[in-house]
Amino acid sequence: MAEWVKVGSAGEVPDGEVTAFSAGDRQIAIANVDGDLHAFDDVCTHQQCSLAEGELDGTTIECPCHGSMFDVTSGEAIGGPAVDPVGVFEVKEEDGELRVLVDEE
Amino acid sequence: MTTFVVVGAGEAGGTAATTLRDEGFEGDIVLIGAEPMAPYERPPLSKEYLRGESDHVYVRQPEWYGEHAIQTRFDTRAERVNVADSVVELEHGDRIHYDQVVIATGSRNRRPPIPGLELSGVFDLRFAPDADAIREAARSGSKAVLVGMGFIGAEVAASLRQLGLDVTVVEVFETPLEHVVGPEIGGAIEALHRDHGVEMIFGDGAERFEGVGRFEALVTKAGRRIEGDFAVIGVGVEPVTEVAGDGVPVDNGIPVDATLRTAVENVWAIGDVARHDHPVFGQIRVEHFDNAMKMGEHVAKNLLGAGAVFDDAHWFWSDQYDANIQMAGFATEWDDMVVRGSIEDRSFSAFLLKDGQLLSTFSMNRKFDVRRSMPLIAAGLHPERDRLADPELDLRTLRPPKE
Repeated sequence: MAEWVKVGSAGEVPDGEVTAFSAGDRQIAIANVDGDLHAFDDVCTHQQCSLAEGELDGTTIECPCHGSMFDVTSGEAIGGPAVDPVGVFEVKEEDGELRVLVDEE
Repeated sequence: MTTFVVVGAGEAGGTAATTLRDEGFEGDIVLIGAEPMAPYERPPLSKEYLRGESDHVYVRQPEWYGEHAIQTRFDTRAERVNVADSVVELEHGDRIHYDQVVIATGSRNRRPPIPGLELSGVFDLRFAPDADAIREAARSGSKAVLVGMGFIGAEVAASLRQLGLDVTVVEVFETPLEHVVGPEIGGAIEALHRDHGVEMIFGDGAERFEGVGRFEALVTKAGRRIEGDFAVIGVGVEPVTEVAGDGVPVDNGIPVDATLRTAVENVWAIGDVARHDHPVFGQIRVEHFDNAMKMGEHVAKNLLGAGAVFDDAHWFWSDQYDANIQMAGFATEWDDMVVRGSIEDRSFSAFLLKDGQLLSTFSMNRKFDVRRSMPLIAAGLHPERDRLADPELDLRTLRPPKE
């Protein structure tokens, strides 16, 4: 069962930025690319660093630790040492809230 | 059917072989490696893996190669690339024909002729079994003696301290990594280790390892006698070039042009063994993980006809305790160093310049500066000192405009 979980407030992630949020036990990063929001697991699949602390360039997030790169729209690993993708989530702004669709644990 | 052979199955060779398949090459791929394991990452061997916090990090899972029709010849040494016959000659006499061959034999640890180096309990660190042996020694021992405080020595010192051992390091220079980063940055690394309880002796070297059948003490050139349960020596590496035979030129590694091709048609070289012609830095040979990986990707595309110049700015990281250390670019000499942040507080970046051109950036706990400076280095820019020194200035604003 997936459900929408409030993680923050609408407008909290400015264009071109990426921010980390907690959704239960999960750390989720949300990137704003030209006004479109993309949510993904905030844990690099290479050595578990926080991706939200990395650099967002277009739709690519680069891990600040060892340079792994992921496409924030698909989660796919597209460069650097990481091979496995990161999980992605649906995200929306509604009623002034920032919400992410996550599976119940 | 076209056959591409990759000689050497470390990060560079493994990445070359896997990228060939990723890029859609449908011919034969043979990956030859002296180690019994599928290609794996070496950086963790002095860090998480040494401390027992992580298992092997593979370039690709071992079964991936078979699933993607890559023939692997692990646990097999390649003796020679025979360019006259276009074959790779393996130990035990096998010969493998190639249409194109990539040499990725890497480097080996320097083993200076120090008496007692062969004693049990004197280790060096390059391969996974080396890390296993050091970890095992650390489990039963309480005191380690290290020779050399380059990156490997510094990382091993940090890991062993984190495991609770007493650590003494002997280093011939006056600070850690002095010949790479200079005494000022080296001093910051020294302070980091001092705060974590590492005993460091500078300006002294190993005279002999003593022990009856097993290491008991290091005697230094200055006459100190440092006892310990085991020793680790890390005094640099040298390229493994024997496979070049007399057919491929060798000169401080295997020289390649800007596209990573050797002087011989159909023979390429990548990773630690390759001395490449870089558009910004000139002739350089780089002994780091990221370069090995990027060259592996790059050579695969060039084998398939891309013909592209390898112009990566070069980058590596070194995790020591909780400090994130990164460096980009390549500078063997510089005439100016600009610091932003505070060396004393261990949150700084140091920009190394020559004639005003930014050649290299080193950072400790300022992880954005190094990556953001790479486009500046790659473009050969001459940034203003004041702007580099301003910790609030986002280095991305100094980038050349995109074409």
